[in-house]
Amino acid sequence: MTTAEHTHVEGPTEVSEFEVLELAVRELAIQHGLFSAEDHRRFSEWAESRTPAKGAQLVAKAWLDPAFKEELLSNGTEASKAVGVDWLDPTGKGTPSDYTYFYVLENTPKVHNTIVCTLCSCYPRPVLGMSPDWYRTPNYRRRMVRRPREVLAEFGLHLPPDVEVRVHDSNQKSRFMVMPMRPEGTDGWTEEQLASIVTRDTMIGVALPNPEWTAENPPNAKTGGRR
Amino acid sequence: MTQRRFSIGDRVTVRDATSLFHTRTQRFARGRTGVVTENRPEWVIPEDEAWGRDENGRREPFYVVRFRQKDLWPDYTGFDVDTLETECSERWLEPAKADAK
Repeated sequence: MTTAEHTHVEGPTEVSEFEVLELAVRELAIQHGLFSAEDHRRFSEWAESRTPAKGAQLVAKAWLDPAFKEELLSNGTEASKAVGVDWLDPTGKGTPSDYTYFYVLENTPKVHNTIVCTLCSCYPRPVLGMSPDWYRTPNYRRRMVRRPREVLAEFGLHLPPDVEVRVHDSNQKSRFMVMPMRPEGTDGWTEEQLASIVTRDTMIGVALPNPEWTAENPPNAKTGGRR
Repeated sequence: MTQRRFSIGDRVTVRDATSLFHTRTQRFARGRTGVVTENRPEWVIPEDEAWGRDENGRREPFYVVRFRQKDLWPDYTGFDVDTLETECSERWLEPAKADAK
């Protein structure tokens, strides 16, 4: 088999070309004293401890407080501080690939927003944590911009023809999060209760919140999540 | 603050310029016409940022451009109302010609 015929196969035990590249660059950077191995470990630990609970809290607050909702929609970066998220963390200039421009996209009865990064994997990590694996796959990235309704249907989300599906390709410095509509059946709920149904996928825009379905307590197979 | 060349509501066409180096301008948007929906700050353009010129790179106004999906993809299978938004630096945009789609 010649090199040209060699097919790249990715499997769980393989290291991808990008991982090799990252390792090589990281080792060089450590060797040249740009940062230490411990700096790198601490940064990774910090980055991997971000969680979609923060985004959910932002949405729940906005559902309950119109003034906060307005602030969140007009200045997401600043409003994030209300739930303890400072987009300048942990370097004072934000993380190297998240930047500090955060925009919240409000779903309405006529517009459904959804996010993707066709270039690679841009994602609002400070408020949603690490992105799901599928978000970074070429399959999702390629098809979400081109056949969004089919992709949403594969996630179980079917939207009527009069609802505009608005895909946001985060190809530059902005990071986006979807603010879903508050579902019926949640009257009188506390912020904590509301936040529990705002799951990661509802803030990516591939799902809608369901009062009977929280990230921690999915419904049993009998109901299939239907109300 | 430089004068912004485009305003919200303007119809703009994405230039079909070089793909050399790092542009962050998707091929699917090139030559396509949409509408400016939001202003973004002046940022260092990716063409310079890619070379580590974070501080002294060229800064330019950025814009959110909204396209109708049917204008992006001739075989689009969704509905007429569907749209896609993305961001472009000023250098990648030009005023749309009257008959541009």
